[in-house]
Amino acid sequence: MVRFYKWWGVVTVLLLSACGGGGGGGGGGSSSTTTTTTVSGCTFTATAEVDASDNNTHPTDAEAARFLQQASFGPSRASIDALKKGSALTWITRQFEQPRASHLSCVDQEAARLASIGTATIDQSHFLQSWWGQALTGRDQLRQRVAFALSQILVVSFNGDLGSDIRGVSYYYDLLEKNAFGNYRDLLEDVTLSPAMGVYLSHLRNRKEDTASGRTPDENYAREIMQLFSIGLYQLNNDGSLKLSGGKPIDTYSNSDISGLAKVFTGYSYGGADTADARFWGNVKDANYNVMPMQGYPQFHSISAKQFLGVTIPAQSAATAASMASDLKTALDTIFNHANVGPFIGKQLIQRLVKSNPSAAYVDRVATAFNTGVTALAPGLGTGKRGDMRATIAAILLDPEARPATLTAGEGKIVEPVIRLANWARAFNVVSNSGAYKVGNTDSASGSLNQTPMRASSVFNFYRPGYVPSNSRVASNSLVAPEMQLASETSVAGYINVMQGIVQNGVGTSTAGVRDVQPNYSSEIALASDSAALLNRIDVLLTRGAMKALTRTSIKTAVDAVSIPTGSTSSASSAAAVALKQRVWLAVFLTMASPDYLVQK
Amino acid sequence: MSHLSRREYLKRLAALAGLGSAAPFALNLAGLGAASAQSAPDYRAIVCLFMFGGNDHNNMIIPYDQAAYDAYAAARSGNRTAGGIAYDRSQLTATKFSPATAQSSSAEFAFCPPMAPLQALFTAGKLAILPNIGPLIAPTNRTSYLANSVALPPKLFSHNDQQAVWQSYAAEGGKAGWGGRMGDLLASSNSSTVFTAISASSNAVFLAGQNIFQYQIGTNGATPVTAVNSSPFGLSGAAGTAARTALSQLVTDSVAAGTLYMESDHADLVKRSIDASGTVSSALATVPTSTAGISLPTALANNSLALQLQVVARLIASRSSLGAKRQVFFVSIGGFDTHDNEITTLEDNANTGALGLHSQVARSMDYFYSAMGSLGLQNNVTLFTASDFGRTLTSNGDGSDHGWGAHHFVLGGAVKGGDMYGTMPAVRLHTTANPNLADAGSGRFIPTTSVDSLAVTLGRWFGVSSADFSLIAPNIANFNNDLGFLA
Repeated sequence: MVRFYKWWGVVTVLLLSACGGGGGGGGGGSSSTTTTTTVSGCTFTATAEVDASDNNTHPTDAEAARFLQQASFGPSRASIDALKKGSALTWITRQFEQPRASHLSCVDQEAARLASIGTATIDQSHFLQSWWGQALTGRDQLRQRVAFALSQILVVSFNGDLGSDIRGVSYYYDLLEKNAFGNYRDLLEDVTLSPAMGVYLSHLRNRKEDTASGRTPDENYAREIMQLFSIGLYQLNNDGSLKLSGGKPIDTYSNSDISGLAKVFTGYSYGGADTADARFWGNVKDANYNVMPMQGYPQFHSISAKQFLGVTIPAQSAATAASMASDLKTALDTIFNHANVGPFIGKQLIQRLVKSNPSAAYVDRVATAFNTGVTALAPGLGTGKRGDMRATIAAILLDPEARPATLTAGEGKIVEPVIRLANWARAFNVVSNSGAYKVGNTDSASGSLNQTPMRASSVFNFYRPGYVPSNSRVASNSLVAPEMQLASETSVAGYINVMQGIVQNGVGTSTAGVRDVQPNYSSEIALASDSAALLNRIDVLLTRGAMKALTRTSIKTAVDAVSIPTGSTSSASSAAAVALKQRVWLAVFLTMASPDYLVQK
Repeated sequence: MSHLSRREYLKRLAALAGLGSAAPFALNLAGLGAASAQSAPDYRAIVCLFMFGGNDHNNMIIPYDQAAYDAYAAARSGNRTAGGIAYDRSQLTATKFSPATAQSSSAEFAFCPPMAPLQALFTAGKLAILPNIGPLIAPTNRTSYLANSVALPPKLFSHNDQQAVWQSYAAEGGKAGWGGRMGDLLASSNSSTVFTAISASSNAVFLAGQNIFQYQIGTNGATPVTAVNSSPFGLSGAAGTAARTALSQLVTDSVAAGTLYMESDHADLVKRSIDASGTVSSALATVPTSTAGISLPTALANNSLALQLQVVARLIASRSSLGAKRQVFFVSIGGFDTHDNEITTLEDNANTGALGLHSQVARSMDYFYSAMGSLGLQNNVTLFTASDFGRTLTSNGDGSDHGWGAHHFVLGGAVKGGDMYGTMPAVRLHTTANPNLADAGSGRFIPTTSVDSLAVTLGRWFGVSSADFSLIAPNIANFNNDLGFLA
């Protein structure tokens, strides 16, 4: 009656209710390490991985690593072992239950601490501490990973007017994490009303039209919420392909839809105790103005008829808080219920987590999970409501195409630079000496990663989902490679150089010459005298068990060339210790420079 | 594939013809040996300066005649004094000008005050204005636009797509741009094709070719991979050699190539990076940033756009060592999406002296022209500006929204400056009583000059033969193929 499809625990026949939630048991004693999260404020320490124990078929090391590359900030030996006690289905189910930590709470604690010791104020580095601390140590890896994906679809950025708005961006990221396992409709509303988005796409203090002066509402948010956050430019089939009319794609909206929708997004400014003009203009501000939803100021809200996407909100005699809320609900419901949202957002989430070029059938399955709020791959995990993120995420990660047994030449996706650093950090169990994960800004293309979380150059993210590297195999096969948009002659060299230093010395702000975030290579050093064993371990942790034979030979030759001094003198043994470390550094560095690692598949 | 010699390149083109590819562009390239690709006797370069975000051209070149100015100010919710986004007319007196060829919409215009340095270049005959230029498929006006009776460029008013359309005539995902196509056609003039199309900014589809690759460079020059030349991790002797060998194999050799397209494509890029960095580094070492004429003025010392133009100037100065006779460059500056804070974004801050975007553009262009002069190459290098789109003439309170056509500049010693090439539309909104066929609505101007015309005018000067014009401008048959601003 219950059969499991492959190790990831997907049911092909309806599962009985008892097991649906991955109800523990089995797997050798159920040592359910339900350690409560130790994430508190801005000091982070690694915690026990979420236990995935169940009675399903268990994955191999390589299978587990392959899944964790997609669903977390990267496999570690501990996270692989935890997953190996169970299945992907149970792992996902348990992940959905994990509490989340707050970035806002973290940066506020930092601000209070800094205030207590002087005049320093928080800056972007403090958000990045919180980001890296959670990404590397949080038990809620899936939520973290999905939130990072969402931050690249619903983009705000420190790069620009939000450069000093540390609390506002932290609050925004918290909204992404809050809704990552919720419903996309709620996410759209939270994002729309967030002050950070209001500043970033300028609907904060957007005023109704004024016929006397010819002033028209700002169209920025109206355009981008449709183009980027929900439906895109052309009508789509449920499998993500273009609907055609007379051989041509069909626009989802026209400029007049944008002008109509722009009127809905008039009259919003910072929240607070009243809706007086002075508060609208920011002359009076609540202490928490940037970390609470924006509110309506009816005196600035358009009351003329608003037409968009086939809907008309009739002209009103006067605007009120209630009419503004009603306008917003109509607008967001209309956008959210557009048939494009499932394939448009579903495909991008696949691209962010799994692969650059999903098949139409894969997109179709994920879009259907989005549309219906359930997936047969994980019964019981969705609410059955359109926009359910849990059903959508499960459909993405448990699909057979997510980890096919055989690879075609167009498979895979380039691992983006921030994830590379996270992969390394998690694979080698980094510890932050300060507890604060002071990784800092990693923008520089020539000297760092060419990417920093929440520092995209525009609302179009670090790269576009449709990016095609020119003159490439990807191009000639009509495929896309979004993350290649960050790859240039400068940045590929910068990456190799910066990783050389990081692999050896750790990463982050130095204190007394020691970088804050330090790897723990003890397990690798223990194997380093046996290069084959060392590479076996690194293959699982970094190349998900898929290191090619040629790659392995090349690295092994280099590792073996580092001879290990023998002898019992103290100088010989310390020289041997150095050699073992050099072997580990070399193996990790060379692996992370190889295409085997750089393309996840 | 990175360092193609001229001979190899032509061989590859011939092979391409043999493929019988369905792509007309590839087929046509086969004939280029006879057309564009003759050995060039002198050096020529084209520089694209791209203003990301959609520059508000309406506050860049402004009608000055009282009646025309009044219409402009009215459409922008009034001047500063009235709380609108129009310049006060009194602010424009010092930078007003009359184009050599009269325009019907206004006899006098003005550069915005931050662009006074460009007015000087205009007066000196080195800078020309291209009014209301933008992507078109065929001539279009308000009537045909609203009736949907004319083919339109894809995805109008969308940032990412119009950036791509300006650069490549295709929306996001476009594979080749007209700069790269010119490079394809002329690369055989160069002893190495690697340095034909160079971006000092990010990946730009403008420079993507069918055969050539764009080469991306940082403002400090090339970034070498340290561990290829210098043993990592304190290793020495045989171990150091083995480490360097392994790295080279892994990132550039067949070991790296892999079986997946992305693995191979990434490996090719790393190989191009490593192969070129040595040549670039030694070439640039002969032209340090402190070189007289190349060094940046203090006000631009940390300016991203100026730094990009500086490395372009250094590369141009090193053209012999790079074996380049025909080059296309791309530089950029962002922040032009002025839905709000338009005035403070575009204009200088009177209190802090911080330069607004228009000053940064004007001063950087001025610097670059003078740097070319110091190399004696001002007649050999032509710079043009581009942007996602222009912006609405209407105000949204403290900014403007996405438009279409926009005014742009061409700069160089070969440019017949001091004039406008093309038609400046009436800078006012359409009304039934007073129609304006250039207004698509809210003062989004329908271009009166197509990007195709700009590409061909530049391309002819660059050495592209008339037989190849359609390769760099697919719609040129519908438009003027010589705007006349280059001799």
